[in-house]
Amino acid sequence: MLNTFKALRANGVIGINERNVKYVNALNPRKFLVRVDDKFLTKELAAPAGIPTPELYGVIKDARDMKRLPEFIDHPDGFVIKPAQGSQGKGIIVVDGPLKGGWRLSSGRRIDLDTMKFQINNMLSGMYSLGGQPDKALIEYRVKFDDVFGKVSYRGVPDIRVIVVKGIPVFGMLRLPTAESDGKANLHKGGVGCGIDLATGRTMRAMQHDQFIDIHPDTAHPLEDIQTPYWDDILLMAAKCYEVTGLGYLGVDVVLDRDKGPMLLELNARPGISIQIANRKGLRYVLEKAMALGDEARSPEARIEIAKTLSDTAPEKPAMIEPAGA
Amino acid sequence: MKIKLRHAVILGLALIAAGFSIFFIKAAILHYPLEPGARATLWDFELFLEFDGQNEPARIEAYVPATDVERAFPQERFYNGSFGLSLVGEPETRNRKAVWTYRYPSNRKVLRYAAQTLGETKSTPLPLSFRESGPGPVPFEADPVKRQAFIVWSGNLRQRSADDRSFADLAIAETFGERTGSEQYADEISALLDQDVGVVGRLELVRQLLRSQGVPARIAGGVYLGETRRRLETHRWLEYHIDGDDFRYFPDGEPSRFFTIWYGTKPLVEAYGVSDLDVQLGTRALETAAANIAENAPGPFGAFGRAFGFSGLPLTTQLVYQVLITIPVGITILVFLRQFIGFKTLGTFMPVLIGIAFRETALINGILLFSLLIAAGLALRFYLERLQLLLVPRLAVVLIFIVMMMAAVAVLMTETNQAMGLSISLFPMVILTMTIERMSIVWEENSASEAIKQGIGSLAIAAITYLAMTNGQVEYLMYRFPELLLVLMGLCVLMGRYTGLRLSELWRFKALAG
Repeated sequence: MLNTFKALRANGVIGINERNVKYVNALNPRKFLVRVDDKFLTKELAAPAGIPTPELYGVIKDARDMKRLPEFIDHPDGFVIKPAQGSQGKGIIVVDGPLKGGWRLSSGRRIDLDTMKFQINNMLSGMYSLGGQPDKALIEYRVKFDDVFGKVSYRGVPDIRVIVVKGIPVFGMLRLPTAESDGKANLHKGGVGCGIDLATGRTMRAMQHDQFIDIHPDTAHPLEDIQTPYWDDILLMAAKCYEVTGLGYLGVDVVLDRDKGPMLLELNARPGISIQIANRKGLRYVLEKAMALGDEARSPEARIEIAKTLSDTAPEKPAMIEPAGA
Repeated sequence: MKIKLRHAVILGLALIAAGFSIFFIKAAILHYPLEPGARATLWDFELFLEFDGQNEPARIEAYVPATDVERAFPQERFYNGSFGLSLVGEPETRNRKAVWTYRYPSNRKVLRYAAQTLGETKSTPLPLSFRESGPGPVPFEADPVKRQAFIVWSGNLRQRSADDRSFADLAIAETFGERTGSEQYADEISALLDQDVGVVGRLELVRQLLRSQGVPARIAGGVYLGETRRRLETHRWLEYHIDGDDFRYFPDGEPSRFFTIWYGTKPLVEAYGVSDLDVQLGTRALETAAANIAENAPGPFGAFGRAFGFSGLPLTTQLVYQVLITIPVGITILVFLRQFIGFKTLGTFMPVLIGIAFRETALINGILLFSLLIAAGLALRFYLERLQLLLVPRLAVVLIFIVMMMAAVAVLMTETNQAMGLSISLFPMVILTMTIERMSIVWEENSASEAIKQGIGSLAIAAITYLAMTNGQVEYLMYRFPELLLVLMGLCVLMGRYTGLRLSELWRFKALAG
C-alpha cells in the first residue's frame, strides 16, 4: 500500500484533496462560481466572447413560462431540456424527435407532455441543483454529433473535456458513451475516457471504470489515434473560458456538431480527476508548470502555444523524481 | 499558497497546544481525574467549643487551619453566636487564629468552626518558604545549666552522627527513648527534660536541636483522619526538611491521613474569662466524586479550572452539554474518514446525525431500525415517483410515512420489548426523510449500487461515530475538559490542508502506479 502511495506520488497523480486545496479553492473565487453553476449565465457570457453554445429555445422559470413549453419544444429534429444548475449531467432530458403524439427520448423510450412537465417541475423545485435551491429549466438545440466518433460511441453524444489552468489548457480527454452509461458520457456511469494529445488532438489510449482499455467495450473499435476535428478551435474556446469566467481551474466540456462545429456545452469548476487515468499520467507536473508561469497577461492564442509546449515537454515521469519504492 | 499552508499549520498547532496546555494544567496541577467515576474522600472537620459565660469580658482564642497554597478548604464556616470574631494571622508560624470576644456573656455558650478538607498524607510536601530557614540560636538563654547541657549534648550528637539526617534520627531516638539512666549523656538529657515534660516538650527539644544544626523544623498540631468521630484528640508531630527531603516524625504513631491545624507549642484553644470549657474536634468522611473536589478547588487555579468547565451551569443544561460536547468528536472522526480514507456518504454530516440518533436506540437496534425505515421509505418514494408529485409535498408524504412506520414499530415493539419501542420515538424523522430523498436521487441518477454503497458508508460512519461519542471515557474527558475542543478544532484545521491521496484513491488510481 505504501509502495502504491509512493508510486502514485512519483507519477504526479493528484487526489481530490490536492485538487480542492491547491487548485479549486486557490484559483476559483467563490463569487464567480455562479458563472459556471448557472448554465444560462454561462451561455450569456460565452456568446460575446465568440464561444459558440447550443442555441437556446427557451427558459422556464415558473408556471407561466410552462404554458409556453409546447412553443419552446416545437423542433422536429429534437431538443434538450436541462436544469440550469444541474451537475454531472443529472436531470437532463434528451429528445430525438416526435413519436406517436409524444416524443422519443435518446434512450429510445417515449415521453408524453405530462411526464415532461413533471420532470421540468422537479428541475424548478431544485431537485438537481446544489443545496436544493429553486432552479430554471433550459430548452436548447440538440447537438447532432459528428460521425468522426461514431465508431467509438454507443448512442448518446461524445464530448471533449479540457482542463484549463489560468487559461492554459493542460489535459484533454474524449468522453464516449457506452451501453452501460445509458448514452451519457459521464465516466462514473461507465463512460469511456480517451486521453487526447494536447499538441495534435489525436486520441491516445483509454480507460473505463478506472481501468486501462484499448477498444470500445460495445463497438470493439480501437480507441487510439483518432484525430479530433477542429482541435485548435476547441483549444481556443477552452482557453477563452478563463476570461469569460475568471476561474483559474476549469473543466471545459465541448461537443462537436455535425453542422455547427465545436460548441461549449458546460463548464465545471470542480472537474473530476479520472482524466489522469485516461491520459495515463498524473496532473501535478503540468499543473505546477502552468502555475509557475505567473499571472502575466497573455492572449488566448499565446496560451495555446504555451499549452502545446507544456504537453510536449511534460515527461510522464520527471527525471528528478526518484523512482517508486526507492 | 505556501503562506496559506504555513498559516493553517501554525493555527492548527497553536489550537492543539492551547487545548493541551489547559488540559495539562487541569490534569496535573488541579488533579482533575482522567477517568470517570474516580472517587475521593473529603473530610468534614469541626471545632466545637462549649463553655459557661461568667458575666465578665470573655476572650477565646483558637487556632484554625492555615490556608496555604497546597491546602484546600472548599467550604469554611464560623458560627459565632453573639460573639465578635476577628481572624489574626501569625506570619512567623504561619498560623491563623480565630479570636472570639464578648463583653458580658452569661449562660452556656457555643462557638463552632467548620471546614472541609482532603487531608494530608506523609507525602504531602512542606511549603517551600518553610525550607529556607537559617540556623537558630542556642536556646535556654535564661537557664545556664540547661544551656550548658544542650550545648554538650548537641555537640555530642553531632560527633556521633554522620550527617543531618542521622543527627535527627539520633536526637529523636534519645529524646523519646525509654530512659534507663545508664546512657552516657543521661545527666544532660535529664537536665533538659523535666520529669513531667509531655510530648510537646520533647518535640520542642528535638526541634531546637535540629534548628541548632540549621535544619528547618517545626512542631505541627492537628487531628488524625480515620473514621467518622465526634471527639478527636489533637496530636503533635515534628516536621523538618533535610537536603531536599521532607520528614515528619509522629510520636503518637503514624496516621495514614491527617489534617494540620496549627504550628508551634501553644495549645489549640486558650480561653479567658470563661469556665467549664469543653473543646470537641469532630471529623466526618464524605465520599464524593474526585472531579467535584477538583472543580471546587479554591484560589485562582480553582477559578481557572471552573472557567473551562460546565459546573456553573444549571443541572439540566449540564446534561445537554454532556451530549452536545461529544458531537465534535464524531465530526472529527467523520472528517478523518472522508479526507484520509475516502468514505462516501449521503450528505456531509448526515452520518454523525444518524450516530446521534443511535443514542436513543443502541447500536444494533438502531442499525436494524434505520435500515428498515430507509427501505420502507425508499419503496414509498419510488411508488410516489409514478404519481409525479412536486418535490416538497413528496418529501412531506415520505416524512408522514416515516412517522407512521415509527409509530407502528413502537406499538409492535412495546408488546415484546418495551425499552426499544419507546426509544424509537425519538429517532429523528427529518434525518431519515432527507436520507431517503438523497438516496433515491443517487439511486436514479447514478446507480442502485452507488446508492447502496453510500448508504452502507453512511451507516458505517454512523456506527463508528456513535461508538466514539458514547464511549464513557470520551464523554467524561470531553465534559470535564472542554478545552479539548480546541484540540479537535486544530486537528480539523490541519486535516483541512491535507493534499495527499486518500486511501480509496490508491485503489482508484492503481492503474497509474506502474
